Amino acid sequence: MLLKSLADEFRSIVGNEWFLDTPEDLATYSYDGFLPEFRPDAVIIPGSTDEISKIMRLANREGINITPRGAGTNICGGSVAKKGGIIIAFHRMNKILEVDPENRCAVVQPGVVNADLQKEVARYGLMYPPDPASMFVSTIGGNVALNAGGPRGVKYGVTRDYLLGLEVVLPSGDVIKTGGKTLKNVSGYDLTRLMCGSEGTLGIFTEITVRLIPMPPAKATLQAIFSDLDDAAKTVSAIIGSGIVPTTLELMDRVVLDAIGDYGGAQFSKEAQALLLIEVDGEELLIDAQGRRIEKFCKERGAIEVQRASSPEDAEKLWQARRTAFGAVARLRPNCIVEDATVPVKRLPEIIRKIVELTDKYQLKIAILAHAGDGNLHPLIMTDLRDGEEMARIEKALEEMYESALSMGGTLSGEHGIGIAKKRFMAMEFSQSAIEIMRGIKKVFDPNNILNPGSFL
Amino acid sequence: MTKEELGKMIPKKIAEEFEKCIKCGLCSATCPISKELLLEKYTPRGKIQLSRYYSQGELDLTTRYQDIFAKCLLCGACVTTCPSGVELNKVFISMREEVAKKKGVHHKMEDLVRSLIVNYNISGEDNSKRGEWRDFLKDLPSHMYQKGKAEVVYFVGCVASFFPMVQRIPRNLVHILDSAHIDFTVLGGEEWCCGFPLIGAGVPEKAREMMKHNLEKVNELRAKRVVFSCPSCYRTWQEYYNTDIELLHSTQLIEKLINEGTIRLGAVNTTVTYHDPCDLGRNGGIYDAPRQILKSIPGLNLVELENRLAQSVCCGGGGNLEMADPVLSGTLAQKKLDEIKQTGAKTVVSSCQQCVRTIKSRARRQKINLDVRDITELVLKAMSND
Repeated sequence: MLLKSLADEFRSIVGNEWFLDTPEDLATYSYDGFLPEFRPDAVIIPGSTDEISKIMRLANREGINITPRGAGTNICGGSVAKKGGIIIAFHRMNKILEVDPENRCAVVQPGVVNADLQKEVARYGLMYPPDPASMFVSTIGGNVALNAGGPRGVKYGVTRDYLLGLEVVLPSGDVIKTGGKTLKNVSGYDLTRLMCGSEGTLGIFTEITVRLIPMPPAKATLQAIFSDLDDAAKTVSAIIGSGIVPTTLELMDRVVLDAIGDYGGAQFSKEAQALLLIEVDGEELLIDAQGRRIEKFCKERGAIEVQRASSPEDAEKLWQARRTAFGAVARLRPNCIVEDATVPVKRLPEIIRKIVELTDKYQLKIAILAHAGDGNLHPLIMTDLRDGEEMARIEKALEEMYESALSMGGTLSGEHGIGIAKKRFMAMEFSQSAIEIMRGIKKVFDPNNILNPGSFL
Repeated sequence: MTKEELGKMIPKKIAEEFEKCIKCGLCSATCPISKELLLEKYTPRGKIQLSRYYSQGELDLTTRYQDIFAKCLLCGACVTTCPSGVELNKVFISMREEVAKKKGVHHKMEDLVRSLIVNYNISGEDNSKRGEWRDFLKDLPSHMYQKGKAEVVYFVGCVASFFPMVQRIPRNLVHILDSAHIDFTVLGGEEWCCGFPLIGAGVPEKAREMMKHNLEKVNELRAKRVVFSCPSCYRTWQEYYNTDIELLHSTQLIEKLINEGTIRLGAVNTTVTYHDPCDLGRNGGIYDAPRQILKSIPGLNLVELENRLAQSVCCGGGGNLEMADPVLSGTLAQKKLDEIKQTGAKTVVSSCQQCVRTIKSRARRQKINLDVRDITELVLKAMSND
């Protein structure tokens, strides 16, 4: 609970209406897409950079924790008040300030929803490539804080690759600008990139400048079915190794296909053990040739069926399976843990074999879904959180999976973030000195540790 | 009350629904209320979590709870979007009931509930006036469409019976049914509210009285089917009335009559757009029948709304929101008008009296020149042009 005098001070900054502390408000800002929940002491909905600066100054003076929250869709516990304090939500700062086609960039407030930005820039024939599954609700501020990826990452990369500049309010209340509208910028340390993926621990973004690209004129969508999961995984690295850069290269195993079928979606033949959804985009002529090459590749590597969409409606049908995959699997058991260990794409077949092995060894139910083209796995672990014994087996399997991924030159998390979800595994990926450097950086920005405390550090 | 006792208040089946929520938040993407009010408590995810906290004894029911759960259109957009298959509507209806039990009926729905209990309709008028829509009918037959026995019962519904703005709908439909020589009757003063507004107000036990009465009256007539022009009545009968009698929305029946050649349509040279009513489309699964009807009218050009079929956005008239928060309901109606305007069509067609009323009222208030029609009007016009 905040002292009344302090609450009143915060109220006077944003106005009564935007300082929330009813039990219903505190409860509904106590969660994000991850499991543990923490009740904040208050929720503030600021309307401007100036208000945020005043909030931070006051919080810093009084040692009150501040946790920024976009749409609360992350699945690592990044936007919950782990040590209490105040949640700052950006509902009111949701304006697209500028679309600048000549400089191919846009300037937005942090609360802009990703899909709304996509829709707006499409009117200019432009595209903002990062497309996390949460894009219809998640905000650009949250996307930057978590360095969000998405299926298009294979070709286009992630949020970091489209971030040009930021306006950031520091815990001290000072406002700094990093980067700008230029593609090239080598002045000083790259603070923009440091902020990207910092999970709300270094500063609060109030203005975000993103790079846009011309909308590709055409695309081809293919679906390849394999009777062997290993063949499918090998095909993925072969396609990437061949010089073709697909926009998307998604893999689903038999467990996923069964779930989709049971959920009223597409039915797959008995032989199907894995499915690849492949998309290439670009100039019409190129696309056609690439589509044919991919078809050939898949067949040469054991695909029992390759289908190429002949119309946008056809393509949508092929995508339908992928879109319903998570929901279809998630409903099989009470809870579903979405993992995202990531490996260099060449090692994809190995890590998939490892996961299959761990599923057997620990008697678990795991479905394999992957943004395979960039080695970003999404094993879906079906469980019941109330089953302590099973959870213990899952923990062991996770540890072994991370060990393997790391030994292959991979990482704990490709795109979901560390937050509190994988904090305990950080020492597996980073040496003590590397962690100390991170802690040092945190201290420079936030000496009193008021910004999203309890996160990965 | 202990936590355990509190938990038992929510039926187990409902509790299972909110246990399925994985808190992904995707429901906010399609919820018209979330997009307008933004705060998490108004999102479907927020409401599901509030239901859970209440059932786990972590939070008490307050009038704030009542306000939060009243700000919902029961439009079902969240249900369609949810990847985990949570039946959010059922949870929300159940929570309205819980709040009503503890805190009384929402103060802005008190008059409605009172009228329903006293008059068996939502209008506040005596139920004997239910047949008022017939007053302007030319060639009203002597039986006045109230027969002792008939194959088909036409269940008119409260809104179309009592609200002059939409009384044209039953007048149109009886003309169509007559032209097709269908043996039908209405229940007149013996038709009671279908019960849905009471379910929406959190008093389902009162709704059950209405249902029992209506079903008895229909059974007495030994009718084979009941036809509805109101999608909400249709849906309520389907979901809550336990009956083997065939239930048809008027669009299904009209489509059938057109296909059989029983009614013939002449040209209507115009461009229209079509608004899918939530209870007919998303919640009732009927998307094709109205479109087939429109496509059967020669000369009629249908341009679709940006958000259509399962993605259709509520007009603002659902879930008793009009009573609980008329300003919010009006804002949503305005958004619907904006979406209609984008199509360039000067006429919007729907197949629900409540949508017609909500959209028409907003357009009038804002002095927007828009032609709002129920589908039966177009059918009748096309029939007279044959």
